[in-house]
Amino acid sequence: MMTWKTLMSPDSASPLMEQLTFLHDHALMILLMITVLVGYLMASLFVNKFNYRYLLEGQTIEMIWTILPAVILIFIALPSLRLLYLLDEVNNPLVTVKTIGHQWYWSYEYTDFANIEFDSYMIPSNEMEDYHFRLLDVDNRIAVPYNSQIRMIVTAADVLHSWTIPTLGVKIDATPGRLNQISFLLNRTGIFFGQCSEICGANHSFMPIVMESISPECFISWIYNMSEI
Amino acid sequence: MAGRLLALSARSIKARPVPLGAAGAHSNPALDATRAMIGNREIVGYGMNGQPHYYDRSDIPLPAIRWKEATADIKCLREKEKGDWRQLSMEEKKALYRASFKLTYSEFKAPTGEWKQIVGASLMLVSVALWFYMAVRVVTRVPLPDSFSEEKQQAQLRRILDLHVNPITGLSSQWDYEKDDWKK
Repeated sequence: MMTWKTLMSPDSASPLMEQLTFLHDHALMILLMITVLVGYLMASLFVNKFNYRYLLEGQTIEMIWTILPAVILIFIALPSLRLLYLLDEVNNPLVTVKTIGHQWYWSYEYTDFANIEFDSYMIPSNEMEDYHFRLLDVDNRIAVPYNSQIRMIVTAADVLHSWTIPTLGVKIDATPGRLNQISFLLNRTGIFFGQCSEICGANHSFMPIVMESISPECFISWIYNMSEI
Repeated sequence: MAGRLLALSARSIKARPVPLGAAGAHSNPALDATRAMIGNREIVGYGMNGQPHYYDRSDIPLPAIRWKEATADIKCLREKEKGDWRQLSMEEKKALYRASFKLTYSEFKAPTGEWKQIVGASLMLVSVALWFYMAVRVVTRVPLPDSFSEEKQQAQLRRILDLHVNPITGLSSQWDYEKDDWKK
């Protein structure tokens, strides 16, 4: 989640998000260099004494400032395309979690082992404890084992929603009548937050997503406890 | 200034540039119009665009017409100018210059301080905009939610650190878990 001191993206909890962060940093560095160059050129226009009224053309410099941006774009495009295909890699998930977006809560189903279903509502501001994060905490979190590939199948019951957790680099639309699938792996324990990312009505800002990443043993006992409810 | 340029260009479109100074060509309406505009001043060259206008510019130095009409004194000096220039005194040189030109280079290139007016006016307008913004913010102020109180923010921060949120380069990376305090 975003905290104080977070200027850009939060720290990643998944290898793919790490790669996204690196690509972002790489592209941003290139952009920064271009901006500094252009800023310097514009500033020097104010203070230099060059003038030449009969300028008509300069073929060499035209060649340079046409070829050079193409080269820069290649430096951005190659890592970007690599990551694009990496994100679509096929893998073998261990656990499948299904989520259905409703107006205005998420419901989750674990049907691999036992028939576990539950709803996840935001904790309202008047029922919050001191330590709860406003608009982010929910009553029932999704638990997943870490270092395991997780498959997420997302759909909606009524209108479009979008299921996302920024620290995992995951955002996937929940479309009614359609099953969208995404796969990810968490490489550290913790609690990760996200918020519905497709306008879905009055309480679109008040249906967050909270995922708790726990050890496989804890996950098994959690499944056992939930299946008895 | 834009209006003045427009009027000038309209005048030059109307009065076609004809070679002036042709002897006895007073039946020429274009010549009459030009003489009405510049009086008796001598036309001495092409200038900026062939039009008989006076200007002071450093990048196109020689204007098309003299600044002042020729008087008898000046005509005398012009004859003397055709000889050795070392015979001219400083006042005579200055008189000849001022007859042909309105300002010297240092006079017309001198800073006008116009930038101060422009910057001042712009800053005043920006401050008016800022006052409007502040007024809107004051009028539409709503109280902050409960979770912004000091104790609740402390409780939330404690929970953020306990959860190791952003442990790599973010907030929790600045917390020393052994000493239970911020890293020094």
